[in-house]
Amino acid sequence: MADRVERLTNLLALLLETPEPLSLVQIAGELRGQYPDGQTARRAAFERDKSALREIGVPIEQEIVGGGEYAGQTRYWIDRDRYELSGLELDEDETRALQVAMAATRPGSTSGQEALWKLGAGPIDGAGSGAPVAAVVPDLPSLPALRDAVNRRVPVTFGYREIDRRVDPWGLLLRAGFWYLIGFDHGRDARRTYRIDRIEGEVDVVDGETFERPADFDPREAFPDDPKLIGGGEEEPREALVLVDVDRAAAAVRDLGAERVVRTRPDGSTELRVACTNLPAFRSWLLGYLDAAEVLEPIEVRADIVAFLEGI
Amino acid sequence: MAARRGPRPAEERLRRLLVMLPWLMERGEVSVEEASARFGLTEAELAKDLELVAMCGLPPFVDELIDVFIDDGVIWVGVPRLFTKPLRLNSVEAWELLSAGRAAMELPGADPDGPLGRGLAKLAAALGEDDTTGVRIDLDRPPFTDEVVHAASIGAELRIAYWSASRDETSDRVIVPRQVFTDRGQWYVSADDDRSGEVRTFRIDRMETVEQTGRTLSPADAPTPAPGAWFADGSIPRATIRLGPNAQWIRERYPVEEVGEADADGWVEVRVAVASEHWLRVTMVQAGSEAELVDPPEWRDIGRRAATEVLARYRS
Repeated sequence: MADRVERLTNLLALLLETPEPLSLVQIAGELRGQYPDGQTARRAAFERDKSALREIGVPIEQEIVGGGEYAGQTRYWIDRDRYELSGLELDEDETRALQVAMAATRPGSTSGQEALWKLGAGPIDGAGSGAPVAAVVPDLPSLPALRDAVNRRVPVTFGYREIDRRVDPWGLLLRAGFWYLIGFDHGRDARRTYRIDRIEGEVDVVDGETFERPADFDPREAFPDDPKLIGGGEEEPREALVLVDVDRAAAAVRDLGAERVVRTRPDGSTELRVACTNLPAFRSWLLGYLDAAEVLEPIEVRADIVAFLEGI
Repeated sequence: MAARRGPRPAEERLRRLLVMLPWLMERGEVSVEEASARFGLTEAELAKDLELVAMCGLPPFVDELIDVFIDDGVIWVGVPRLFTKPLRLNSVEAWELLSAGRAAMELPGADPDGPLGRGLAKLAAALGEDDTTGVRIDLDRPPFTDEVVHAASIGAELRIAYWSASRDETSDRVIVPRQVFTDRGQWYVSADDDRSGEVRTFRIDRMETVEQTGRTLSPADAPTPAPGAWFADGSIPRATIRLGPNAQWIRERYPVEEVGEADADGWVEVRVAVASEHWLRVTMVQAGSEAELVDPPEWRDIGRRAATEVLARYRS
């Protein structure tokens, strides 16, 4: 039997070229000698080829004949407009810029390489070595599905913090190294922010329904300014008063902003107001300073830190 | 591109042919060497697939579907008939391009009116994403990042006041930045460090002052590491830590080399590079009772000792 790549190529060409949809019997007739003769084996081989082509991204259309001699028969074809990449018309420097961008941010991406090849660009690693600035953009399996849902305004369902959520996905944001989903949580009846890598299991798209997104929505503005606020959400914003030693005071002010400074003591140590709505995030921030920082108030946050340290 | 072993699946071969053929048809003639390097194939793999495709055909044009042959190391393509255009981008590929492009737009020095900005706009339009506000990438950068990037691009020497995490002190250093990169929300620069005579990685947010010395040095020849491989320095000591369910953020935030199977209670053993003892001390205290240092033995108590020092503050 012929090499499978040859049969797949012929099948692809036939379905692209045909002026009218073709049944499996007609396809096997055109590709003489390439499909098995027995009906069951032929069907199985064809189904395998069809799913291989779809896997590659080839849009194979099918219809079932409604009446007449061939009623009930399935016929296949490929719509050239849905198959071909068109309308992009990138200039050479634009393609090159996308290639450099890929090298600087997603150097090992096989889908990215595939995309660049389709645009007529070369290998990713031929572009950006030695670029003076680069970033690592984290990859997550659920991102393409979420982006698609954001674009099509379709609700999604997923598990988060052991609760099944149904969310209208308004937008995605990469910030401080993590991807976030911002959307309207139907169970909570309010806007919520989720760390995408903390989503439990698969993201399912609720097809057949759509939602309206607020007209002025921008994920950057909707995102809580301070990570120590994320995930709280249900509670009122809270703040703690923190004393940072002189050696680390400049770093803390840089991190939080000068407007957070309450006062600087004569020895140079500094008191700052710090969001502590999300207590674990606050604790992690505070302990980053080890014994160079201390919570002054509220008392219960101070007690929490002491209890946490005693547990080690 | 890394060489593969074993036969390549038919799907992969066809996928590669469908991006290779339009490119070949546009060029007309290309050396086998250039084409195979471009598409990550060996010359033998490339020749095999092209010869195969040259035999493809439909009645009445058997053998004439794709007019391509190889002669003396050169691929020749005749009159293009089929497969002149590549397949449409699938949603994963489109996502990769958009997110890589938008991340690069956030890097210092990116020009929204330049080729990348124009290319991204065309891409968004072609994908039907008329509204690009749904996906945003923010790479907020600390003060001095732009100065350091500028210095890296011209080879300028900088004098910095740098807070060293391992010694918990600020010192003056002279560096020549080579590459700035961001990973997991932090910004770093790989630079020639005057003090050690080696290439060192500095966190930009730990620079307290930055000024040019006025000297410029031609950039060193040694290649900069590929993004993602920045922490793959084998000389750094390693530690084995058991992480509880509430300490899994350590795996997300820091490069973790080996991850074991989770046990019944959700604890996982990981191996991490320990860039400094100070880092290890902080991380073990932050993880609290959710992390347990297994190896090496001399660090087993590091978290508890640091916690005791912090507690002393609250009891005085």
